[in-house]
Amino acid sequence: MFKIILLLSVFFSFTFAQDCVDCHQKESVKCQKSNHYTLQNAINVTRTAWGVKDSNVTLQTIPHSKIDIKKPADLVDDFLRRKCLKCHLGVKNSGEKGMKRKRNCLACHSKHKTKGKCQPKKIAMDKCLSCHNKEFVGTDYKGLFPKDYSHSFRAPLQKNGNYPSQKYGIDFHNLNQDIHYKKGMSCVDCHNNKNGKNWENGVACKECHKDLTKQNHKNYHNNISCSACHSSWNMSSYELSVFRDDMADYDKWKDLTLQEDGYLKKFLTKALKSKKKIKPVMPDWVDMKMKKGIWYSGWRYRRWEDFTLGNDENGMVKILRPIFQYRVSYRDANGTMLLDDVSSVDGKSLEAWSPYSPHTITKKAKSCERCHENNLLLKNSKKPNVIYDLKIPKNIEHGSALSEEQIYRLKSQKYKKERFKMLQ
Amino acid sequence: MRIFQYSIFAALLAIAISLYINVDKPIAIPSQPDQCMSCHENTTNMDVSHPIEVFGCFKCHGGNKFATNKKDAHIGIVLNPSRLEHANRFCGECHSDVVKRVNISMMQTENGILNTLKFQWGELSTPMGYKGIDELQKETNSTISLAENHFRKACASCHINQHEDIFDDEKYARGGGCVDCHRIEKGRTEGKKYIHATLSTKIPSSNCLKCHNRSNRIGLSYFGKYESEGYGTPYKHGEFTNKLDNSRFYYELPADIHHSKAGLDCIDCHTEKGVMGDGKKHHHMEEAEDIKCKDCHKADFKKADSLSVLLSDLNENMPEPNLIAFTKKKNSPIYNLQKNGENSKFYRKRDGKVFNLTKMSNKPYHISKIHERLDCSSCHSSWMPSCYGCHEVYFEDGKQFDWVDRKMTKGAWQEFRSFLRFEKPSLGVGYNKKIMPFAPGCQVIGTTFKDKKVEQFHFMAMAGWDPHTTQKEVRSCVDCHFSPEALGLGRGNLDIKDKKIVFEPFYNSKKSGMPFDYPIDGFVSSEGKQFQSTSRKEARSFNKNELTKIVEAYKCILCHDSYEDKIYKDFTKSKEFFRDGKTPCLK
Repeated sequence: MFKIILLLSVFFSFTFAQDCVDCHQKESVKCQKSNHYTLQNAINVTRTAWGVKDSNVTLQTIPHSKIDIKKPADLVDDFLRRKCLKCHLGVKNSGEKGMKRKRNCLACHSKHKTKGKCQPKKIAMDKCLSCHNKEFVGTDYKGLFPKDYSHSFRAPLQKNGNYPSQKYGIDFHNLNQDIHYKKGMSCVDCHNNKNGKNWENGVACKECHKDLTKQNHKNYHNNISCSACHSSWNMSSYELSVFRDDMADYDKWKDLTLQEDGYLKKFLTKALKSKKKIKPVMPDWVDMKMKKGIWYSGWRYRRWEDFTLGNDENGMVKILRPIFQYRVSYRDANGTMLLDDVSSVDGKSLEAWSPYSPHTITKKAKSCERCHENNLLLKNSKKPNVIYDLKIPKNIEHGSALSEEQIYRLKSQKYKKERFKMLQ
Repeated sequence: MRIFQYSIFAALLAIAISLYINVDKPIAIPSQPDQCMSCHENTTNMDVSHPIEVFGCFKCHGGNKFATNKKDAHIGIVLNPSRLEHANRFCGECHSDVVKRVNISMMQTENGILNTLKFQWGELSTPMGYKGIDELQKETNSTISLAENHFRKACASCHINQHEDIFDDEKYARGGGCVDCHRIEKGRTEGKKYIHATLSTKIPSSNCLKCHNRSNRIGLSYFGKYESEGYGTPYKHGEFTNKLDNSRFYYELPADIHHSKAGLDCIDCHTEKGVMGDGKKHHHMEEAEDIKCKDCHKADFKKADSLSVLLSDLNENMPEPNLIAFTKKKNSPIYNLQKNGENSKFYRKRDGKVFNLTKMSNKPYHISKIHERLDCSSCHSSWMPSCYGCHEVYFEDGKQFDWVDRKMTKGAWQEFRSFLRFEKPSLGVGYNKKIMPFAPGCQVIGTTFKDKKVEQFHFMAMAGWDPHTTQKEVRSCVDCHFSPEALGLGRGNLDIKDKKIVFEPFYNSKKSGMPFDYPIDGFVSSEGKQFQSTSRKEARSFNKNELTKIVEAYKCILCHDSYEDKIYKDFTKSKEFFRDGKTPCLK
């Protein structure tokens, strides 16, 4: 059945939404340069983390992995093609509830009936969330934090006795929602092309929030991004072990069939029930072909309350998130471990921390202490331990760690005096 | 009385052994204590205290010691005389006092679990008074309550008198009476020899861990193992790592300093009375438990009694004690902490390795009145296993093993959880009225499928205990005085606005499908309203007054963040100075 859907998808990809392009030629050219079309940021940050030097490819130019696998960099393209790139404008259905979409232009935009009289409909948030869910900005806006994979986390049961409903391949904890969401705003209310800005380049809060006169917006916080203070919680997902297995070895995954991957869930459910040995295959979401091997994954742990800070490329202090402290394994069909839990290459761990803006904005900012007494920033971790150590960034992409001077200032006399006054 | 018996026993034993050794072999009258040895001649001794040459087989195993054929000899024989139904007759002949105590101890009655469980599930009005597992064994099917059903299907698998042979995997087998703890090696045949099971008072911690690895997980935490979210990561050689058993996993966190520095076993601290009972029936573990940190770290040395002489002699790894420490609570001898002149030496029971014990200092943080209500564990615990949300689902139509009746019976349970944490233990007022670490214990959110109806119930409780993750280094002042987790508010944003504590939690329980609207990790509100219950009379969250005081102190801690700071030398005086405007704080 799945093969048929794949074949159909390949067939339809030739009809590149011709009727849109007829009128929207300019937009379609622009779209083809956009990051949503090329996915180059996501692709290159992962390739770099896995040790590819000077990575600069796009969805359209991403190569196939090598046949001879010696290091993680040889396998990263296979990982991207089969786990990450199921979210691109050409993929219609990767098997998860909430992640079905139409293709190309219609992945985001709705069709309008009248030719010529264009009344573009506002892009519904669900369309954005069909890709922007789980670890990245998107579902956090609605206060959603993915639960752990094991079946023992499928709780609480609903009143009718059913397991909690799943969306995007897993079920969620509900945390604080973004204030803009609570007030009824959707993604495109901020992320749009108005006033000559590029909708993909992020939005400055100041565009709307022009009058910042209150006491905390003083000079000394000039270089702090709004979201560093005003985000409520954030995504800290530590150490992702990934394992491509070309052998049919499924039993051990029986409690872990939910790995935020709709295809994998269906495959494992079937394979665990089947009396026949089912060959391990998983689609390549770029060329839409079934290929040998299954990619499994599992975290060390995830937190919503931890955070650390760093500088972005413009010198603004932002929250850093880890992507994803990988540990890579690969077993071929003969049972040879070609990569066995490789977590670093040339002494550099397979990770990329980058500055980001959690979309969990609250009116009331963080208390001063959450940064100024933050043990992760002050490096107060008492006992060196590999588990605590995961919380400290090693490699930062598109930014840098706080300088000694910045860390020193967290506990400066000036801060203490100011804070003391506020507490009286 | 007991000491008397011990001495008599020891004396008789000594005489018996010396007689045996000194007797001229050829004219020994009874060369064997019973006829059993004519068949079982190649059986080894189980330990130094019970040599077969003296005891024979009959004394411990029964049967007919005069018979000369197998059939007659084995009539009434008992394979494991240490099972509690036999122990009084066999072990009790010499150790009657111990057998009596064990029979009403917590590990036998499982009163601690039953009292708490039945109270939390609304079957007892106070968390005490239940008679224990013996009461359960009398039940008929129709009288088994929901909590008792749950106990039978889950908790009761850990019981000192459980039947070892019902465990599929020998590795996880528990029970057997005295041997549950005291056996260090199982009996086995080796060629023509039978190697008798070996018993010891040097109980290896692995025996304790057979049971003490769930619920509050002390046995795991002490060794630096934290039960993880179940990913089995990292994968090595294509397999899961860090397995506890077939479905549970751990990751390594800093182990308790008593383990990491000195490799101490459970029995190096936990006394014979604390473990096997003091002859009284207790409602909860903390009443039965004997040892306190101060018993060693602020020890009072007294003359060793005869029990400590006997026990240290039996241990063989330490000198005969003169001055030793005693527990303050039950006056049990800590015979492995001995004073010799000015030096106090701590002997590890396993092998007699000697350690110099660090005495509790007289620094302000230990003697100042400000922190006199703090249990040692509130500062010295470095992490705490905290399992939020215990979702218990009951299917009446299902079938599951009943560990009390030891057969498959109607009704099956499945357990789920919400999320796990180890960082920043919450604090509250514990069972002893002292401030100590708290974690969920237990947050029961139940669903039952009965008579085609789905019913839900919940009982949310937090519990305080010493997590056994002790370190010399302590949490920083701010880690408690301005930490929402430590205060019991849960995870979220804590601030002070207009002199009031304000707190915005992260977790939205209602939206996450829970049947209550406070955050699942919130023990108490910033207004001091306690959200979640406890299962001890004295235990509670901080109240409004305490919360205010703790956070108020942060104003000083902001600058004076170490006890070395001079303002803590006489804090009352310092506060007066501040009120009178004599300090530079506001300038």
